[in-house]
Amino acid sequence: MFRVDLHPTHVSEDGKFKLRVGKPLPFGASIVPGGVNFSVYSHAATSCKLALFNKHEPKPFCVISFKDEFRIGNVFTMVVFDLDYENLEYGFYMDGPFNEREGHRFDKTKVLMDPYAKSIGGRDIWGKTPDWNDIYQHRARICFDDFDWENDHPLETPVEDLIIYEMHVRGFTQNPSSGVKHPGTFAGIKEKIPYLKELGVTCVELMPIHEFDEFENSRISPATGKMLMNYWGYSNVGFFAPKAGFAATGKFGMQTDECKTLIRELHKNGIEVILDVVFNHTAEGNEKGPYISYKGIDNKTYYLLTPDGYYYNFSGCGNTLNCNNPIVRNMILDCLRYWAADYHVDGFRFDLASILGRDMNGAPMHSPPLLETLAFDPILGKCKLIAEAWDAGGLYQVGCFPAWGRWAEWNGKYRDDLRKFLKGEPGSLGAMAQRLQGSPDLYSMEGRGATASINFITAHDGFTLYDMVSYNGKHNEANGENNSDGGNDNYSWNCGAEGDTKDAGIKWLRTKQMKNAVAMLLVSQGTPMILAGDEMANTQWGNNNAYCQDNEISWIDWSLFKKNRELFEFFRKMIAFRKAHPVLRSSGHFKNRDYMHSGFADITWHGQEAWNVDWSAESRSLAFMLCGMHAKGGTVDDNSVYVAMNMHWEMRGFRMPKLPDYMAWHVFANTDAQSPFDIWEPGKEVKLDNQNEFLVGPRSVVILVAKDK
Amino acid sequence: MTIISLSGSLDGNTVNDAQEKIMPLLASNSILLVLDLKGCGYISSAGLRLLLMAAKQLSSQEGILVLSGLSDEIKDVMEMTGFNNFFKTFPDTAAAVAAIRKGGA
Repeated sequence: MFRVDLHPTHVSEDGKFKLRVGKPLPFGASIVPGGVNFSVYSHAATSCKLALFNKHEPKPFCVISFKDEFRIGNVFTMVVFDLDYENLEYGFYMDGPFNEREGHRFDKTKVLMDPYAKSIGGRDIWGKTPDWNDIYQHRARICFDDFDWENDHPLETPVEDLIIYEMHVRGFTQNPSSGVKHPGTFAGIKEKIPYLKELGVTCVELMPIHEFDEFENSRISPATGKMLMNYWGYSNVGFFAPKAGFAATGKFGMQTDECKTLIRELHKNGIEVILDVVFNHTAEGNEKGPYISYKGIDNKTYYLLTPDGYYYNFSGCGNTLNCNNPIVRNMILDCLRYWAADYHVDGFRFDLASILGRDMNGAPMHSPPLLETLAFDPILGKCKLIAEAWDAGGLYQVGCFPAWGRWAEWNGKYRDDLRKFLKGEPGSLGAMAQRLQGSPDLYSMEGRGATASINFITAHDGFTLYDMVSYNGKHNEANGENNSDGGNDNYSWNCGAEGDTKDAGIKWLRTKQMKNAVAMLLVSQGTPMILAGDEMANTQWGNNNAYCQDNEISWIDWSLFKKNRELFEFFRKMIAFRKAHPVLRSSGHFKNRDYMHSGFADITWHGQEAWNVDWSAESRSLAFMLCGMHAKGGTVDDNSVYVAMNMHWEMRGFRMPKLPDYMAWHVFANTDAQSPFDIWEPGKEVKLDNQNEFLVGPRSVVILVAKDK
Repeated sequence: MTIISLSGSLDGNTVNDAQEKIMPLLASNSILLVLDLKGCGYISSAGLRLLLMAAKQLSSQEGILVLSGLSDEIKDVMEMTGFNNFFKTFPDTAAAVAAIRKGGA
């Protein structure tokens, strides 16, 4: 078939390149027959030029003006023919008003990155000092979109069946103790897939992998003399490109292929991928920050501005993305659709998601159009949507994030209430009972259920699990801010000594507390999330805000795997137990009645006496039983499970509910027992001699299973 | 059976030439093609895409494309970027030819 539009209609000013008017959609650079279609939006620019660079070269080899006839509405678009697009980097020059009060900051001397760049160079190798004289620091590149996915498809695991494992791409394998060939990369994670399978997690949640600048605000720590970097990467340069420095092949510009290969291989092994996405601000900072893209392309569209034209700072990071501006809203939607369709991503966790519900003046909205759009989008229809339901501007929406039955939340109250209960704070029983049930006090409205609750004890923000039982207070001196950064409400307890200790009793108690914590997490309704490394007692030496630490503080120490094998085994078996028992994985909340006529309600509460809980403030003993006939709303048959938690410092006897004559209680886990008698393989539980009462040790959790005699 | 040796870098600068050499060979059915990359120090993203395109074209015509003599680095890159799933590779052309003759490729 002969196509007329294969033929150019114009030539560039220097006569080198043949041109034609482009297609305004899709935005960005797209490979078309014979050339590349460029399209960029700006509602206030008066003119636009395309700058073409050879890879890594300081100056453009050609600058082409978008002719008047190449502007359609507020979109500049043209096709440039015969480009060697593998060796190409492109940017835009935009001219327009500079008027701070009006919110315009055009500077026609700046080379600007395409907001839709699918691949970004300039930080190709992690930590390689950039050339600060380069006029174009973050360089848009053309991306092949022909990856061969074989038969891959997002896994669409029901959210209540997920076991999420949160990791930093670099921190997971950068420590030489990881033993991988390409430490700190997507390829490194791929090498660790057998480990993830052994542990049993079914989903990895990757901390930000969109292109960011690890050198943003980099500095020498006055405390340690070491370089501090933007290590976590919660500061986007581009929303459509994977971080080149996270790819071993980034130096060859093949980060998109490496990232997609990782996702494909994870899927082959039954592991989903959730991306932590940061739509609340960008790396351009405030009026003092650099021009990377948005600021010079259309400042007023992309950012929330005060009436004087300054940047609102609801993110705590200098600027706030104007999420409910229709243009930005569409960009976010395009971005998520792209990652879902082109990268087969299974879901997203939205950093400081409450910002996504603020209007163009920064006020919280009742029914934010962006959040509604994402909830109902056809392409995102099977993606998990998880909100960090607060922001740095004071909005805290845990339990009331606008959800349309689609959005789940990082349940910050779960973390806090479990920690209080674990350390034996008085008066923590009532809240803990809610958390164990999937927080019906928070999520029973508007058709939400237990699946709205992402349960976690630890995450990248805050202490690791080991540090939570080893430090009373944070120790962030290495961050160079006099220990003033990072949260203070840690609800942690050091078990008797601050930091590492040789005291065998304290060490024993710490291990037990970690086992208690993960046992409670994995028998809670809702979706559990584990912080990578917690299963081997990884430490950050009390640093609860390691965002800038690109070193041993935040790199997982894999030598701990051998040292703390006992803890790993406990995690592994608890995960296997959760997978084996659908009764632990309801999507809805309990009805608190016996609708299956089994003799037990779906959930029943017990204390030292069966059927009788001491809910008083000084009580630290709580037990519950989940009736197996009520598993998944009575649709599947399972064993009944009984969990006794004694967070008192003294031993307590618990009387169990009496089972029908043909059944007997078997012990699956007892955190007060020495390994390997602390936990069994699911299905190999040991029958109890005493079917009436169980002595639960000080600060211990016991899990029993009802099985036929 | 056809054996083609590529040397130097297979990247944006050379991929069009390589394509012109290889494409005519893909025109007929049941072609058995060995690409010897012993002298090839670097294959870029575009180069790998050319190889994959040729392999897919051949296999849709009952042909086979195998690779021989890959450097460790190229092998490594292909593994990390997922291209290795689509090729049989052999240490040298003799091994590739033997395998094709035995029907093992």
